[in-house]
Amino acid sequence: MLSVDKLEPSKHPLAEYIHRIEACLALLEDTPVHVVEVVGILKSYGIILDAYSRNLIYISEHQFLNLFPFFKYFNGKVTFDRLLKHWNHDRINFEYAEYCMKSMLWHGGGGLDAYLDTPEFAQNAEAAIQARWKGNLFMLGLHKLFPNFLPEQVRVMAYYSGLGQFWRVMSDMFLELSDLYDRGEIQSIPQVVQHIQDGLVAAAGNPIVHQVKLGDRVYDILPKSAGLTFLMDTAVPYVEAIFFRGTPFPGTISYNAQAYQIPFDQSIFNYGALYADPLPIGGAGIPPTLLMQDMRHYLPEYLHEIYRQGKRQEDDILVQICQTFQKSMFCVTTAAIRGLAPHPMDTTDLAQQRENRAYLEGWMNRFVSSRVVAVNS
Amino acid sequence: MLSALLLIPLVGIAAIGFLPGTIDPKICRRISLVAILATLIWTIWIGIGFDPTAPGMQFSEFVPWVPWMGFNYHLGVDGLSMPLLVLNGVLTAISIASTPGDLHRPRFYYTLMLLINIGVTGAFVAQDLFLFFGFYELEIVPLYFLIAIWGGKRRGYAATKFLIYTAISGFCILASFLGVVWLSGTGSFDYAPLRSAGLPLGTQILLLVPLLVGFGIKIPFFPFHTWLPDAHVEASTPVSMLLAGVLLKLGTYGLLRFGVGLFLDAWAYLAPWLAVWAAVSALYGASCAIAQTDMKKVVAYSSIAHMAFILLAAAATTQLSLLAAVCQMIAHGLISALLFFLVGVVYKKTGTRDVNVLRGLLNFSRGLPLIGSLIILGVMASAGLPGMVGFIAEFLVFRGSFSLFPVQTLLCMVGTGLTAVYFLLMVNKVFFGRLSEVTIDLPQVQWSDRIPALILSVVIFILGIQPNWLVFWSEPRIVSLVTEFGQPQAGLLTPGNGMGDDRDLGFQPIKSEVTQ
Repeated sequence: MLSVDKLEPSKHPLAEYIHRIEACLALLEDTPVHVVEVVGILKSYGIILDAYSRNLIYISEHQFLNLFPFFKYFNGKVTFDRLLKHWNHDRINFEYAEYCMKSMLWHGGGGLDAYLDTPEFAQNAEAAIQARWKGNLFMLGLHKLFPNFLPEQVRVMAYYSGLGQFWRVMSDMFLELSDLYDRGEIQSIPQVVQHIQDGLVAAAGNPIVHQVKLGDRVYDILPKSAGLTFLMDTAVPYVEAIFFRGTPFPGTISYNAQAYQIPFDQSIFNYGALYADPLPIGGAGIPPTLLMQDMRHYLPEYLHEIYRQGKRQEDDILVQICQTFQKSMFCVTTAAIRGLAPHPMDTTDLAQQRENRAYLEGWMNRFVSSRVVAVNS
Repeated sequence: MLSALLLIPLVGIAAIGFLPGTIDPKICRRISLVAILATLIWTIWIGIGFDPTAPGMQFSEFVPWVPWMGFNYHLGVDGLSMPLLVLNGVLTAISIASTPGDLHRPRFYYTLMLLINIGVTGAFVAQDLFLFFGFYELEIVPLYFLIAIWGGKRRGYAATKFLIYTAISGFCILASFLGVVWLSGTGSFDYAPLRSAGLPLGTQILLLVPLLVGFGIKIPFFPFHTWLPDAHVEASTPVSMLLAGVLLKLGTYGLLRFGVGLFLDAWAYLAPWLAVWAAVSALYGASCAIAQTDMKKVVAYSSIAHMAFILLAAAATTQLSLLAAVCQMIAHGLISALLFFLVGVVYKKTGTRDVNVLRGLLNFSRGLPLIGSLIILGVMASAGLPGMVGFIAEFLVFRGSFSLFPVQTLLCMVGTGLTAVYFLLMVNKVFFGRLSEVTIDLPQVQWSDRIPALILSVVIFILGIQPNWLVFWSEPRIVSLVTEFGQPQAGLLTPGNGMGDDRDLGFQPIKSEVTQ
């Protein structure tokens, strides 16, 4: 509370959370139950992200410009047994990963989005397109007629790869967190946040590259020379697109865009994970529900036991998972906020504290309508 | 054989009576359930031996009771009472099975439930007017206590109102019965001789009017209905199921058996006005249902509207409409019992029935998805959606009545249309959208809350797609059930009715010489 003592208390409606971060705490209150919930859910999320990540990278590399990718979720291992399991829906909902990828593509932001509009990318994409459809006069003819279609598909592939690489890092980070917890080295929410922050900082400069092998030659789609990095070009746009903005989806509550029930300006969307109502509102295949279904299969026993003690026990387990997941996402967001802060939170310099205060109040303005209060209640 | 239907529950009552006062309520429930299931099995056994084509009453039992007063212990069953006996057994069993296991004063409760079963069964099989009246009155007392002791906050008011109304009902019916016995000069309350008494039209009207009022209160029809919504709202769920599913049928059964059976000329004379009464009651019930905010009251007013269709069918007195009246009694019994049961589950889980408070209950994680789905199914059945028993019954009612009372039938059809309006309004508010904050943390729904509803739903479906299993009890001799000993019926059994010339099914009204 050192910095708060020197600064006057914030008058922001969410001042409590500003003071928490300034005190090197987290948006989520530090309680033993929260620690168990967050570590447990991040373990199952880590397992799922591992699968999502592998599949996204597989699609970006091996289903490149495949217009009918019937077996894109099979990671190259198509057998009758796996096909039966797929039809029986005994599988991971890889559709959710694609939903996130499309959401990132749509909202854009960061260096990746900017690079995909450069002449250099257009040149790389064109080379890959020519190689992919070499000798196919029909496709090359269509490409001449509709020159924007295939490059857009290459952009989609680039996002497949970018999100896959981002989740690769996050998956390892969350599974490592679980291992640390199992060894008794993680015991509080601030430790969870610190672990994530350290992981983000450590991977911040990791290059984001995307190459595809077509024939005998390897084509650069996102070359290393583009200078795209993990933190600013995938992590930050991901947080913006998935945690904050998101997309509305139809259910028993429907949105009428023409009546401006959805904001005209997508930058002020607030349908992201931090705002999402954990109660499913109906309809089949709602993407956040798909994630909860996947995580359900990999819950650690200690977390599953907490859910079984709930009033509805297994009946509303997806809702309980979603609520816990939101708690964990507020921890990840805390780590991102702290990592991107202009100055360390424990700074003793009053001017730096003021800059941090302004920075935090800017974030909190976006949290006013979020679930931050609900997850702490 | 029929006496056993009265004796088995009586044995159950005796068994419960011997239990100590501190007995576990679940043991009381088990004993009464065994008694009622034994009664139901016996009823089915009788049903297996029942010949729908045989004339007159079957399995008759006749014992002179008080000869000098003309009272006889005379029981019998025919195609009108047979399906109602089965309905009574099924719904009583489901009501007992769905009674909470932690009930206070369980011995008294289950004794009353079994007494109601005896009263209803007795009324359905009684072939003596006084005996019928005795059984009819017998079910009033237990129902009064069931509402007054195990009811809601305003149970005293509702129970007293019910008692006053039904006492007046009983008085009117008794007056009519005494009148017909005395004025016919038979000196006996036995049903069969009274049917051929041949009273003049004026006398018949004089006797029919109090009977209409008496049964009109019981069913109930507008404007005698005001006790019903209160009774339903305050009664516990099992009692509501019995009330709507079986007890109201005593009124329609009485109208068909005694109103049409004893006073056919007067009935035919008043028929157009009875059809008007049915239309008014149907539209009034439906309109009131639209305005309700309590789910139970919606179902209660819906009940008033749908019971009016039975009066329309009875007023038409064509072969088809009489068959329709029986079908509608069964259909309404099943559907209203289902809806009251499900509304009871909603109340048990959420603590409210207010449609302005409840929202989003179809939510598959935190709501009541199966219960909500079954309610939607129930309201579809009530609105007469094809594939369910409600459609069969209402189609027959309108088809059988339209040729005689086209305007009244059309008005009743509007009432059916309004069923969709008020029920969909309710369903839309209660089950769609996001769960309201007051219902966001509902307890789990047990299978004991689902199984009774599933059983009723299956029966509603089966009878909807295989209506022959519903009508075969009554169809072959439907006309003779109520008019066999009455005046000649010139318009009856007219061939070329469009439903098969060789079948006893037609659209011609049953009319006596007097009205012709």
